[in-house]
Amino acid sequence: MSLKKYLGPLNKDNPVLVQILGVCSSLAVTAQLKPAFVMALSVTIVTAFSNLIISLLRNTIPPRIRIIVQLVVIATLVILVDQVLQAFFYDVSKMLSVFVGLIITNCIIMGRVEAYALSNPPMPSFWDGIFNGLGYGLVLVTLGTVREIFGSGTLWKMQIIPTSFYEHGYLNNGLMVLPPAALILVGVMIWVQRSKG
Amino acid sequence: MKFSNRYIFIFITIIVVICAAILTFASVGLQPFQKANRERERMSQILQASGYVNVPDVIGFYKKVASDTIIKGEKEELPLIKVKAKNGDTNYVLPLRGKGLWGPIWGFIAVKSDGKTVNGAVFDHKSETPGLGAEINTMKFMAQFEGKLLFDEQGNFSSIKVVKGGVANSNIAPTNGVDAISGGSITSKGLEKMLEDCIIKYVPYLKEIQNKTTTK
Repeated sequence: MSLKKYLGPLNKDNPVLVQILGVCSSLAVTAQLKPAFVMALSVTIVTAFSNLIISLLRNTIPPRIRIIVQLVVIATLVILVDQVLQAFFYDVSKMLSVFVGLIITNCIIMGRVEAYALSNPPMPSFWDGIFNGLGYGLVLVTLGTVREIFGSGTLWKMQIIPTSFYEHGYLNNGLMVLPPAALILVGVMIWVQRSKG
Repeated sequence: MKFSNRYIFIFITIIVVICAAILTFASVGLQPFQKANRERERMSQILQASGYVNVPDVIGFYKKVASDTIIKGEKEELPLIKVKAKNGDTNYVLPLRGKGLWGPIWGFIAVKSDGKTVNGAVFDHKSETPGLGAEINTMKFMAQFEGKLLFDEQGNFSSIKVVKGGVANSNIAPTNGVDAISGGSITSKGLEKMLEDCIIKYVPYLKEIQNKTTTK
């Protein structure tokens, strides 16, 4: 089975950079790499499985209440993710705090369910969800990496910038840990993406 | 394909019931793990208030140095944790519970064995605004509490005031106040109220300790 046709979200059809979806959470949870990574993973799981479930049900869902059904499925998956995080990744779940719950409102998920899963068979829908989640994750991980290195001098909580730099007067960029820096970085990434043609 | 109203009602009922059942099972099944995490965090915060930061084996260490007790207050029974601090001194850790701007805030304050000096404090919150109210959880804010006094010079309970604009610019004694968080006024006020409301119940007990140490 060829996965090539699903690769769009990683590049020229990226949900964040091209479709401008899910920007809110990309600004909020990317001050460090670890929460960004967990958030990306959570969103990927939720998009993949909501796509899969909705696609399996697509011929039985009455169109008039399809949005309600989509929301019920997505909300259930998100609460499951939240519960699992609280049980096994407690510190990360505290870091992500309200943003786990807000995955429900992430436009990428609803967008893919509505635009793809409702009219395509289960397996393609599942892969579509996976790659859209990964496309979102790619942006989050890039932002998290840049912001943590320049904002805190660390990566995944490990010191990256040598202490000798600090002794010679190097300072962490305080702007990088604040949401505006993420907005500027997303802007730069969109610029690069568009100028590639 | 046309769907009847009857079909729509039955369909959505089935979906909702299935989802509810899945969530119930998940919630009940994962509860022991979540409870253990919260308990571990409670212990870690109590240790941090008493000066033990970044302890690797929290549960084992907590059992070694800390003991949960219950004391008799004026109206109700009050929880109190006795912790053996690094210098051998006994710390009395009081649990705190209050309201922030968006949701509950809580914490622990460790009082030294003289019954009035604060050794350290830890605060946490459910959903305060990041960068503003949520700053109560940062070392910068919490470190201010070290060495503060819960009583004024006359020995009356004064609590610790959280002062907007800074203690240095107010008429509050520097030992009885800390700087509030700029942009986090409501959370700061809530924290001040939490300190006062929670600690005041322990005042008779703290006075007892003070008398003991002065007569010794």
